[in-house]
Amino acid sequence: MQQQQQPSNITRRHDPSHPHHHHQLTEEQQQFQLFQESLPKINRLVYQMLLNEIIPTSISVQNRLDESDDNSDAEQLKKLSISEKPVVPSHKLVSQMHEIKNEGRYNNILERIRTIGFKLGCKIADLLVFANNPNLNFRDMDLLAIMKFVCRDVWKLVFGKQIDNLKTNHRGTFYLIDYSYQPIKNFALNDDTNKLSAEELEKKELKSVEPFLELPVGIIKGVLEALGYNAKETICLATYIDLPNEDASHYGFSKGISFHVQVTNTTRQQQP
Amino acid sequence: MTIYSFWIFDKHCNCIFDKEWTIPSQPRSGTTNSKQNENVAKLLYGLIFSLRSITDKISSDPVDFLSQKNRIRSITTGKCRVHLFETATGFWFALMTDFKQDDYYDILNHIYKNIFVRFISLNYISPSDFVENEDEKGGQGIRKINNKNFINNLELFLSPLIS
Repeated sequence: MQQQQQPSNITRRHDPSHPHHHHQLTEEQQQFQLFQESLPKINRLVYQMLLNEIIPTSISVQNRLDESDDNSDAEQLKKLSISEKPVVPSHKLVSQMHEIKNEGRYNNILERIRTIGFKLGCKIADLLVFANNPNLNFRDMDLLAIMKFVCRDVWKLVFGKQIDNLKTNHRGTFYLIDYSYQPIKNFALNDDTNKLSAEELEKKELKSVEPFLELPVGIIKGVLEALGYNAKETICLATYIDLPNEDASHYGFSKGISFHVQVTNTTRQQQP
Repeated sequence: MTIYSFWIFDKHCNCIFDKEWTIPSQPRSGTTNSKQNENVAKLLYGLIFSLRSITDKISSDPVDFLSQKNRIRSITTGKCRVHLFETATGFWFALMTDFKQDDYYDILNHIYKNIFVRFISLNYISPSDFVENEDEKGGQGIRKINNKNFINNLELFLSPLIS
Protein backbone atom coordinates (compact mmCIF):
# COMPACT_ATOMS: atom_id res chain seq x y z
CA MET A 1 0.00 0.00 0.00
CA GLN A 2 2.78 2.40 0.76
CA GLN A 3 4.63 2.36 -2.49
CA GLN A 4 7.20 5.05 -2.65
CA GLN A 5 7.29 7.17 -5.73
CA GLN A 6 10.69 8.65 -6.36
CA PRO A 7 12.05 9.14 -2.90
CA SER A 8 13.01 12.76 -2.74
CA ASN A 9 16.17 13.42 -0.87
CA ILE A 10 16.34 16.78 0.78
CA THR A 11 19.65 16.38 2.52
CA ARG A 12 21.56 19.61 2.56
CA ARG A 13 24.76 19.39 4.49
CA HIS A 14 27.05 22.32 4.94
CA ASP A 15 29.60 22.01 2.22
CA PRO A 16 32.99 23.23 3.44
CA SER A 17 34.12 24.05 -0.11
CA HIS A 18 31.48 26.77 -0.34
CA PRO A 19 31.80 28.56 3.00
CA HIS A 20 29.51 31.53 2.63
CA HIS A 21 27.61 32.98 -0.26
CA HIS A 22 27.27 36.41 1.21
CA HIS A 23 27.15 38.02 -2.21
CA GLN A 24 24.23 35.79 -3.22
CA LEU A 25 22.09 36.53 -0.18
CA THR A 26 19.26 38.95 -0.50
CA GLU A 27 18.99 41.77 1.97
CA GLU A 28 16.19 39.91 3.70
CA GLN A 29 18.30 36.79 4.10
CA GLN A 30 21.20 38.83 5.42
CA GLN A 31 18.93 40.36 8.01
CA PHE A 32 17.70 36.88 8.96
CA GLN A 33 21.29 35.75 9.38
CA LEU A 34 22.05 38.75 11.57
CA PHE A 35 18.93 38.04 13.60
CA GLN A 36 19.96 34.42 14.14
CA GLU A 37 23.45 35.45 15.18
CA SER A 38 22.01 37.92 17.69
CA LEU A 39 19.85 35.26 19.38
CA PRO A 40 20.90 34.28 22.89
CA LYS A 41 23.07 31.20 22.96
CA ILE A 42 23.34 28.42 25.50
CA ASN A 43 25.57 25.40 25.85
CA ARG A 44 24.18 22.63 23.66
CA LEU A 45 25.51 19.91 25.95
CA VAL A 46 23.57 21.07 28.99
CA TYR A 47 20.41 21.49 26.96
CA GLN A 48 20.82 18.07 25.39
CA MET A 49 21.29 16.47 28.80
CA LEU A 50 18.14 18.18 30.06
CA LEU A 51 16.19 16.80 27.08
CA ASN A 52 17.52 13.33 27.84
CA GLU A 53 16.72 13.68 31.51
CA ILE A 54 13.01 13.94 30.60
CA ILE A 55 12.93 10.17 30.08
CA PRO A 56 14.20 8.99 33.51
CA THR A 57 12.08 11.72 35.10
CA SER A 58 8.93 10.38 33.43
CA ILE A 59 9.73 6.87 34.61
CA SER A 60 10.31 8.17 38.13
CA VAL A 61 7.01 10.08 38.11
CA GLN A 62 5.19 6.91 37.05
CA ASN A 63 6.92 4.95 39.82
CA ARG A 64 5.79 7.47 42.45
CA LEU A 65 2.23 7.47 41.09
CA ASP A 66 2.09 3.68 41.26
CA GLU A 67 3.38 3.77 44.81
CA SER A 68 0.69 6.16 45.96
CA ASP A 69 -2.14 4.25 44.23
CA ASP A 70 -2.47 1.50 46.77
CA ASN A 71 -2.26 3.60 49.89
CA SER A 72 -4.88 5.03 52.22
CA ASP A 73 -5.25 8.73 52.94
CA ALA A 74 -3.36 8.43 56.23
CA GLU A 75 -0.44 6.91 54.39
CA GLN A 76 -0.62 9.69 51.85
CA LEU A 77 -0.43 12.28 54.61
CA LYS A 78 2.67 10.66 55.99
CA LYS A 79 4.27 11.01 52.60
CA LEU A 80 3.74 14.74 52.62
CA SER A 81 6.42 15.11 55.26
CA ILE A 82 9.74 16.03 53.84
CA SER A 83 11.93 13.00 54.16
CA GLU A 84 14.94 11.92 52.29
CA LYS A 85 14.14 9.47 49.55
CA PRO A 86 16.83 7.29 48.09
CA VAL A 87 17.99 8.73 44.78
CA VAL A 88 17.81 6.24 41.95
CA PRO A 89 20.42 6.92 39.26
CA SER A 90 19.06 7.73 35.79
CA HIS A 91 20.53 4.67 34.10
CA LYS A 92 18.78 2.42 36.63
CA LEU A 93 15.44 4.06 35.91
CA VAL A 94 15.96 3.63 32.18
CA SER A 95 16.96 -0.01 32.62
CA GLN A 96 13.67 -0.61 34.46
CA MET A 97 11.89 -0.08 31.16
CA HIS A 98 12.55 -3.52 29.74
CA GLU A 99 11.56 -5.19 33.02
CA ILE A 100 8.07 -3.66 33.06
CA LYS A 101 5.56 -6.44 32.43
CA ASN A 102 2.47 -4.30 32.87
CA GLU A 103 1.72 -2.92 29.42
CA GLY A 104 -0.53 -0.16 30.69
CA ARG A 105 2.25 1.15 32.85
CA TYR A 106 4.74 1.00 29.99
CA ASN A 107 2.39 2.91 27.72
CA ASN A 108 1.69 5.48 30.44
CA ILE A 109 5.39 6.31 30.56
CA LEU A 110 5.66 6.59 26.77
CA GLU A 111 2.49 8.70 26.68
CA ARG A 112 3.92 11.07 29.29
CA ILE A 113 7.12 11.57 27.29
CA ARG A 114 5.13 12.04 24.06
CA THR A 115 2.96 14.68 25.73
CA ILE A 116 6.02 16.63 26.86
CA GLY A 117 7.35 16.43 23.29
CA PHE A 118 3.98 17.48 21.89
CA LYS A 119 3.85 20.64 23.99
CA LEU A 120 7.45 21.38 23.13
CA GLY A 121 6.63 20.94 19.44
CA CYS A 122 3.67 23.35 19.57
CA LYS A 123 5.89 26.03 21.11
CA ILE A 124 8.83 25.40 18.81
CA ALA A 125 6.55 25.94 15.81
CA ASP A 126 5.55 29.30 17.23
CA LEU A 127 9.14 30.26 17.85
CA LEU A 128 10.18 29.35 14.32
CA VAL A 129 7.25 31.21 12.77
CA PHE A 130 8.25 34.20 14.87
CA ALA A 131 11.88 33.88 13.79
CA ASN A 132 10.43 33.86 10.26
CA ASN A 133 13.05 32.49 7.94
CA PRO A 134 12.55 34.55 4.74
CA ASN A 135 12.74 31.38 2.64
CA LEU A 136 9.55 30.12 4.24
CA ASN A 137 6.06 31.27 3.55
CA PHE A 138 3.81 29.59 6.05
CA ARG A 139 0.55 30.71 4.48
CA ASP A 140 0.72 28.59 1.34
CA MET A 141 2.76 25.68 2.58
CA ASP A 142 1.52 22.24 1.64
CA LEU A 143 2.16 19.12 3.69
CA LEU A 144 5.42 18.30 1.89
CA ALA A 145 6.75 21.80 2.54
CA ILE A 146 5.82 21.46 6.17
CA MET A 147 7.61 18.12 6.48
CA LYS A 148 10.66 19.73 4.86
CA PHE A 149 10.34 22.50 7.46
CA VAL A 150 10.36 19.81 10.19
CA CYS A 151 13.40 18.12 8.64
CA ARG A 152 15.41 21.31 8.23
CA ASP A 153 14.42 24.01 10.69
CA VAL A 154 12.84 22.11 13.57
CA TRP A 155 15.50 19.39 13.64
CA LYS A 156 18.27 21.98 13.32
CA LEU A 157 16.87 23.95 16.25
CA VAL A 158 16.24 21.00 18.55
CA PHE A 159 19.00 18.55 17.65
CA GLY A 160 21.61 20.71 15.93
CA LYS A 161 21.49 18.81 12.65
CA GLN A 162 19.08 18.15 9.81
CA ILE A 163 17.28 14.89 9.07
CA ASP A 164 19.43 12.78 6.73
CA ASN A 165 16.70 11.58 4.41
CA LEU A 166 13.03 12.26 3.70
CA LYS A 167 10.92 9.82 1.71
CA THR A 168 7.29 10.22 0.76
CA ASN A 169 4.58 8.60 -1.38
CA HIS A 170 2.95 12.02 -1.93
CA ARG A 171 -0.25 10.74 -0.29
CA GLY A 172 0.37 11.70 3.31
CA THR A 173 2.98 9.08 4.26
CA PHE A 174 6.48 10.24 5.13
CA TYR A 175 9.63 8.54 6.31
CA LEU A 176 12.09 10.80 8.12
CA ILE A 177 15.39 9.01 8.51
CA ASP A 178 18.10 10.11 10.91
CA TYR A 179 21.27 8.01 10.82
CA SER A 180 22.83 9.67 13.86
CA TYR A 181 20.04 10.86 16.10
CA GLN A 182 21.96 13.20 18.39
CA PRO A 183 20.53 12.51 21.89
CA ILE A 184 21.30 8.78 21.71
CA LYS A 185 24.41 8.70 19.53
CA ASN A 186 26.75 7.92 22.44
CA PHE A 187 24.52 5.34 24.10
CA ALA A 188 25.66 1.80 24.75
CA LEU A 189 24.73 -0.63 27.47
CA ASN A 190 27.43 -1.51 29.99
CA ASP A 191 27.23 -5.22 30.68
CA ASP A 192 29.29 -5.63 33.83
CA THR A 193 28.15 -9.18 34.52
CA ASN A 194 29.36 -10.49 31.14
CA LYS A 195 26.50 -12.98 31.12
CA LEU A 196 24.65 -11.82 28.03
CA SER A 197 25.49 -12.81 24.49
CA ALA A 198 26.08 -10.09 21.91
CA GLU A 199 22.57 -10.45 20.44
CA GLU A 200 20.86 -10.39 23.83
CA LEU A 201 22.85 -7.33 24.78
CA GLU A 202 21.87 -5.52 21.59
CA LYS A 203 18.22 -6.46 22.07
CA LYS A 204 18.29 -5.14 25.61
CA GLU A 205 20.08 -2.00 24.47
CA LEU A 206 17.54 -1.22 21.74
CA LYS A 207 14.68 -1.81 24.19
CA SER A 208 16.27 0.57 26.73
CA VAL A 209 16.68 3.30 24.14
CA GLU A 210 13.06 3.04 22.89
CA PRO A 211 11.59 5.62 25.32
CA PHE A 212 14.15 8.17 24.09
CA LEU A 213 12.49 8.06 20.65
CA GLU A 214 9.09 9.13 21.99
CA LEU A 215 10.21 12.72 22.55
CA PRO A 216 10.87 13.52 18.85
CA VAL A 217 7.65 11.67 17.95
CA GLY A 218 5.79 14.09 20.22
CA ILE A 219 7.68 17.06 18.79
CA ILE A 220 6.73 16.15 15.19
CA LYS A 221 3.07 15.78 16.16
CA GLY A 222 3.18 19.05 18.07
CA VAL A 223 4.62 21.00 15.14
CA LEU A 224 2.01 19.51 12.78
CA GLU A 225 -0.76 20.38 15.24
CA ALA A 226 0.43 23.97 15.51
CA LEU A 227 0.50 24.30 11.72
CA GLY A 228 -3.05 23.05 11.23
CA TYR A 229 -2.97 19.25 11.13
CA ASN A 230 -5.01 17.80 13.97
CA ALA A 231 -3.01 15.47 16.20
CA LYS A 232 -5.87 12.96 16.09
CA GLU A 233 -5.38 12.61 12.35
CA THR A 234 -1.63 12.11 12.38
CA ILE A 235 0.17 8.90 13.25
CA CYS A 236 3.84 9.05 14.10
CA LEU A 237 6.00 6.05 14.95
CA ALA A 238 9.72 5.60 15.46
CA THR A 239 11.58 2.45 14.42
CA TYR A 240 15.20 1.37 14.11
CA ILE A 241 16.88 0.95 10.75
CA ASP A 242 20.35 -0.26 9.82
CA LEU A 243 23.06 2.26 9.13
CA PRO A 244 24.17 2.59 5.50
CA ASN A 245 27.80 2.43 6.56
CA GLU A 246 28.37 -0.79 8.53
CA ASP A 247 31.63 0.42 10.13
CA ALA A 248 29.95 3.40 11.78
CA SER A 249 27.96 1.07 14.06
CA HIS A 250 31.14 0.02 15.89
CA TYR A 251 31.95 3.55 17.03
CA GLY A 252 28.56 4.90 18.09
CA PHE A 253 24.95 3.85 18.49
CA SER A 254 24.40 0.79 16.29
CA LYS A 255 21.15 1.81 14.60
CA GLY A 256 19.62 4.71 12.72
CA ILE A 257 16.13 5.96 13.47
CA SER A 258 13.25 6.11 11.03
CA PHE A 259 10.21 8.22 11.89
CA HIS A 260 7.10 7.12 10.07
CA VAL A 261 4.56 9.94 9.81
CA GLN A 262 1.12 9.38 8.35
CA VAL A 263 -1.40 12.17 7.92
CA THR A 264 -4.89 10.89 7.17
CA ASN A 265 -6.48 14.25 6.42
CA THR A 266 -4.02 16.07 4.18
CA THR A 267 -6.06 19.24 3.78
CA ARG A 268 -4.76 21.87 6.10
CA GLN A 269 -7.27 23.36 8.46
CA GLN A 270 -7.05 27.08 7.85
CA GLN A 271 -7.89 29.23 10.76
CA PRO A 272 -10.79 31.58 10.03
CA MET B 1 57.08 4.69 20.81
CA THR B 2 55.21 1.77 22.24
CA ILE B 3 52.30 1.53 24.61
CA TYR B 4 52.15 -1.50 26.86
CA SER B 5 48.96 -1.00 28.82
CA PHE B 6 46.25 1.46 29.83
CA TRP B 7 44.42 1.70 33.16
CA ILE B 8 41.58 3.73 34.68
CA PHE B 9 41.01 3.98 38.44
CA ASP B 10 38.04 5.70 40.09
CA LYS B 11 37.68 7.64 43.33
CA HIS B 12 36.60 4.51 45.21
CA CYS B 13 40.10 3.02 44.72
CA ASN B 14 38.79 0.53 42.16
CA CYS B 15 40.34 -0.31 38.83
CA ILE B 16 37.42 0.18 36.45
CA PHE B 17 39.23 -0.49 33.19
CA ASP B 18 42.42 -2.15 32.08
CA LYS B 19 43.77 -2.96 28.68
CA GLU B 20 47.05 -4.68 27.93
CA TRP B 21 48.60 -5.10 24.50
CA THR B 22 50.65 -8.27 24.17
CA ILE B 23 52.07 -8.20 20.64
CA PRO B 24 53.11 -4.65 19.64
CA SER B 25 52.84 -5.34 15.90
CA GLN B 26 49.20 -6.34 16.27
CA PRO B 27 47.10 -3.56 17.84
CA ARG B 28 44.11 -5.90 18.10
CA SER B 29 45.96 -8.36 20.32
CA GLY B 30 45.83 -8.17 24.09
CA THR B 31 43.44 -8.45 26.98
CA THR B 32 40.69 -6.16 28.24
CA ASN B 33 39.46 -6.16 31.83
CA SER B 34 41.36 -9.34 32.54
CA LYS B 35 41.05 -11.12 35.89
CA GLN B 36 44.79 -11.82 35.84
CA ASN B 37 45.54 -8.12 35.95
CA GLU B 38 43.69 -7.58 39.21
CA ASN B 39 46.77 -7.84 41.41
CA VAL B 40 48.89 -5.73 39.07
CA ALA B 41 46.14 -3.10 39.21
CA LYS B 42 46.25 -3.06 43.00
CA LEU B 43 50.04 -2.75 43.03
CA LEU B 44 49.95 0.03 40.45
CA TYR B 45 47.27 1.85 42.43
CA GLY B 46 49.35 1.54 45.59
CA LEU B 47 52.47 2.82 43.85
CA ILE B 48 50.68 5.87 42.47
CA PHE B 49 48.92 6.53 45.76
CA SER B 50 52.16 6.44 47.77
CA LEU B 51 54.00 8.69 45.35
CA ARG B 52 51.09 11.12 45.43
CA SER B 53 51.29 11.44 49.20
CA ILE B 54 55.05 11.96 48.98
CA THR B 55 54.71 14.71 46.39
CA ASP B 56 52.05 16.36 48.55
CA LYS B 57 54.43 16.31 51.53
CA ILE B 58 57.52 17.66 49.82
CA SER B 59 55.68 20.42 47.99
CA SER B 60 56.51 23.91 49.24
CA ASP B 61 53.06 25.22 48.23
CA PRO B 62 49.92 24.09 49.98
CA VAL B 63 48.08 21.40 48.05
CA ASP B 64 46.27 23.02 45.17
CA PHE B 65 43.59 20.78 43.70
CA LEU B 66 42.67 23.06 40.84
CA SER B 67 46.03 23.72 39.29
CA GLN B 68 47.42 20.36 40.40
CA LYS B 69 50.83 22.00 40.56
CA ASN B 70 52.67 19.26 42.28
CA ARG B 71 50.71 16.29 41.07
CA ILE B 72 52.73 13.33 39.93
CA ARG B 73 52.90 13.18 36.13
CA SER B 74 55.01 10.14 35.38
CA ILE B 75 56.92 7.33 37.06
CA THR B 76 59.99 5.92 35.34
CA THR B 77 61.62 2.56 36.04
CA GLY B 78 64.43 0.77 34.27
CA LYS B 79 62.01 -0.86 31.85
CA CYS B 80 59.08 1.44 31.34
CA ARG B 81 57.39 4.71 32.13
CA VAL B 82 53.91 5.21 33.58
CA HIS B 83 52.16 8.42 32.58
CA LEU B 84 49.39 9.75 34.81
CA PHE B 85 46.45 12.02 34.33
CA GLU B 86 44.22 12.85 37.27
CA THR B 87 40.83 14.52 37.11
CA ALA B 88 39.17 16.61 39.79
CA THR B 89 36.41 13.99 39.97
CA GLY B 90 38.91 11.42 41.15
CA PHE B 91 39.60 9.38 38.05
CA TRP B 92 43.19 8.37 37.37
CA PHE B 93 44.27 7.50 33.86
CA ALA B 94 47.53 5.58 33.68
CA LEU B 95 49.40 4.72 30.50
CA MET B 96 52.41 2.41 30.56
CA THR B 97 54.87 3.12 27.73
CA ASP B 98 58.52 2.87 26.74
CA PHE B 99 60.98 5.80 26.94
CA LYS B 100 60.77 7.21 23.42
CA GLN B 101 58.30 9.96 24.21
CA ASP B 102 58.46 12.14 27.30
CA ASP B 103 54.98 13.48 27.55
CA TYR B 104 51.66 11.77 26.99
CA TYR B 105 49.67 14.45 28.80
CA ASP B 106 47.80 15.59 25.67
CA ILE B 107 46.97 12.04 24.72
CA LEU B 108 45.55 11.24 28.14
CA ASN B 109 43.71 14.55 28.14
CA HIS B 110 42.19 13.66 24.77
CA ILE B 111 41.11 10.22 26.03
CA TYR B 112 39.38 11.84 29.00
CA LYS B 113 37.77 14.68 27.07
CA ASN B 114 36.71 12.99 23.86
CA ILE B 115 36.30 9.33 24.72
CA PHE B 116 35.62 8.95 28.44
CA VAL B 117 33.27 11.92 28.86
CA ARG B 118 31.51 11.19 25.59
CA PHE B 119 30.87 7.48 25.96
CA ILE B 120 30.65 7.12 29.74
CA SER B 121 29.40 10.39 31.22
CA LEU B 122 26.97 11.28 28.42
CA ASN B 123 25.66 7.74 28.13
CA TYR B 124 22.25 7.63 29.80
CA ILE B 125 21.79 3.89 29.81
CA SER B 126 24.96 2.95 31.64
CA PRO B 127 26.39 4.10 34.97
CA SER B 128 28.95 6.87 35.33
CA ASP B 129 29.89 5.83 38.84
CA PHE B 130 30.88 2.19 38.96
CA VAL B 131 29.98 1.51 42.58
CA GLU B 132 26.51 0.19 43.42
CA ASN B 133 26.67 -0.20 47.19
CA GLU B 134 28.88 0.48 50.19
CA ASP B 135 30.58 -2.92 49.99
CA GLU B 136 32.15 -2.07 46.66
CA LYS B 137 33.89 1.04 47.91
CA GLY B 138 37.50 1.07 49.07
CA GLY B 139 39.01 -1.11 46.39
CA GLN B 140 36.48 -3.95 46.70
CA GLY B 141 34.67 -3.14 43.47
CA ILE B 142 34.13 -5.69 40.74
CA ARG B 143 32.49 -3.56 38.07
CA LYS B 144 34.35 -2.65 34.90
CA ILE B 145 33.73 -0.44 31.90
CA ASN B 146 32.45 -2.89 29.34
CA ASN B 147 30.93 -0.51 26.88
CA LYS B 148 31.63 -1.43 23.27
CA ASN B 149 31.62 2.16 21.99
CA PHE B 150 34.19 3.17 24.58
CA ILE B 151 36.48 0.21 23.95
CA ASN B 152 36.27 0.47 20.15
CA ASN B 153 36.97 4.20 20.13
CA LEU B 154 39.83 3.86 22.60
CA GLU B 155 41.42 1.13 20.49
CA LEU B 156 40.95 3.17 17.35
CA PHE B 157 42.64 6.18 18.94
CA LEU B 158 45.53 4.31 20.55
CA SER B 159 46.30 1.79 17.80
CA PRO B 160 48.73 4.08 15.86
CA LEU B 161 50.76 4.55 19.06
CA ILE B 162 51.19 0.89 19.89
CA SER B 163 53.64 -0.25 17.21
